[in-house]
Amino acid sequence: MSHPSPLRIFLKTIVARAYPRFVGSYRNRTWIVTETLLPLIGTIAMIYVYRALHAPARYLGFVVLGGVLLAFWQNVIWAMATQFFWDRGQGNLELFAMAPTSLAAILLGMALGGAYLSLTRAVTVLIVVSVLFGVGYTAAGILPALGVFVLTICALYCLGMLLASLFLFYHREAWHLADAMQEPIYFLSGFYFPIRSLGAFVGGVGSLIPLTLGLDAIRQLILPGTPQFIPLAWEILAVIGQIVLYAVLSQVSLRYLERRARQDARLILRST
Amino acid sequence: MIAAIAQWRGFKAATWLGWEISSNWTRPLMFVIYSVLRPISAAFILVVMYRVISGRAAGSTAYLAFLVSGVAFWSFVQYGFAGLSNGMAEDRGEYRMLKYVYTSPVDFYVYLFGRGLAQLASAVASALILLVVATITLGLPIDPLRVNYPLLLVASFLALLAVIGMAMAYGFLQLQAVDAHGYGELGASVLYVISGAIFPIGVLPGILATIASLSPLVYWMELIRRTLLGSHAIRMFPTMSDADVLLRLVVTTVATLILAHLVFSWADRRARRRGLIDMESNW
Repeated sequence: MSHPSPLRIFLKTIVARAYPRFVGSYRNRTWIVTETLLPLIGTIAMIYVYRALHAPARYLGFVVLGGVLLAFWQNVIWAMATQFFWDRGQGNLELFAMAPTSLAAILLGMALGGAYLSLTRAVTVLIVVSVLFGVGYTAAGILPALGVFVLTICALYCLGMLLASLFLFYHREAWHLADAMQEPIYFLSGFYFPIRSLGAFVGGVGSLIPLTLGLDAIRQLILPGTPQFIPLAWEILAVIGQIVLYAVLSQVSLRYLERRARQDARLILRST
Repeated sequence: MIAAIAQWRGFKAATWLGWEISSNWTRPLMFVIYSVLRPISAAFILVVMYRVISGRAAGSTAYLAFLVSGVAFWSFVQYGFAGLSNGMAEDRGEYRMLKYVYTSPVDFYVYLFGRGLAQLASAVASALILLVVATITLGLPIDPLRVNYPLLLVASFLALLAVIGMAMAYGFLQLQAVDAHGYGELGASVLYVISGAIFPIGVLPGILATIASLSPLVYWMELIRRTLLGSHAIRMFPTMSDADVLLRLVVTTVATLILAHLVFSWADRRARRRGLIDMESNW
């Protein structure tokens, strides 16, 4: 009897883990509503803050783009970083560990499916808010911005894979930690304002999160007048560097923490 | 008397249970730290947004105080509303104990009230820490010796009743769904937009502004700012006296409680008829 090659198993695992997320993106109506409306309402609230301050129109664009990437960040936190934590609580993680495949392939599948799922929500936020509030973008910058967007999402999900292994070491605090990675990250990444406003130090710390530089680069490309944090080319290079860095770190961390988790019997620990 | 003691015991147990579940049995200090991080960051997002637009012009602290006080006290709604309404779905779906509570001698309202109050501790800590940090770092015009505490406490008590009432009704409505994951947060974020917490409701389009003016949360926010900031407060209702705003808060709170009771009773009857209280759901 012939066995499938490791590469085939790896690729089939990615597809298998991504599949429920592709299907889930339109099957569970409850999640469609919450995943779309939560970033949408948050974005609208921030737009009204700027309106109350009589801010120039481009600031509304800052908020809209922040809201678009917010959908991805929420997916990375709640469906990537914490996913192994939930899986462990439901008893799936031990099955993953026993299966003849790698956790890396499972994470890649989650990332692929999660990115697709978030994209459907993000596009809704972009269209609805832009139309509702008459936000315009520079047409010439849209294609390059899409390129930067793809790079940013790749870096972001690599960070998500890294966080997924780290969350394996959290017990009951995991939920609160994930909660605490919302507004503090929106602040550090400049979701609703130009990152330059935070200054070099805080902005530099925030730049460890791929969204920060990616969002700033996208804004520079399609919203003229965006205060520049660092030159666009450097931002793109930094995001590419983050893809490599977080991808490597996530694999190293996953192997190390998986081994530790096996030693400490954390793969089967229930803490939800 | 014995019945009252039984209800009191039930209330205490519900409050303790609510605290343990919402903190997920973590250490209280860790839970409070995590709970405070979110509102502090939310406030600083607004501060930076304001600074980006208005710079450090004279009089800017008054608007910053408007933003910070709104975010600080919003924790009560966030924890009370989303926490309690999600809690009912969790009690049914995740912990599978809602049916036992429902059939126990403790009045269901008393149980839910206790469950909701449990969130209060983290909300109080969060609001206090945020106000202290913001007052010191941003130089907000909040003088602890000049705060109108009686009015602040009365307004907050009324608002808390309204929030818990709304959360109970909304939570019971959520039981109609098999999967209501995230609906608590969704409800809270809708209230966020129409509560005047981070911008005056006059900015909202006509219909939304009218709906907002029927909510007790708007008058609560107004009274919070007046009691904390005195003459420095930016007012959403400049022509109204404190007494007028309080009266509106009382009227809208009573109306909200009546409406919440009607919705709760309807949803309760429907849930019994359809067997929703012990339905397998979510998790």
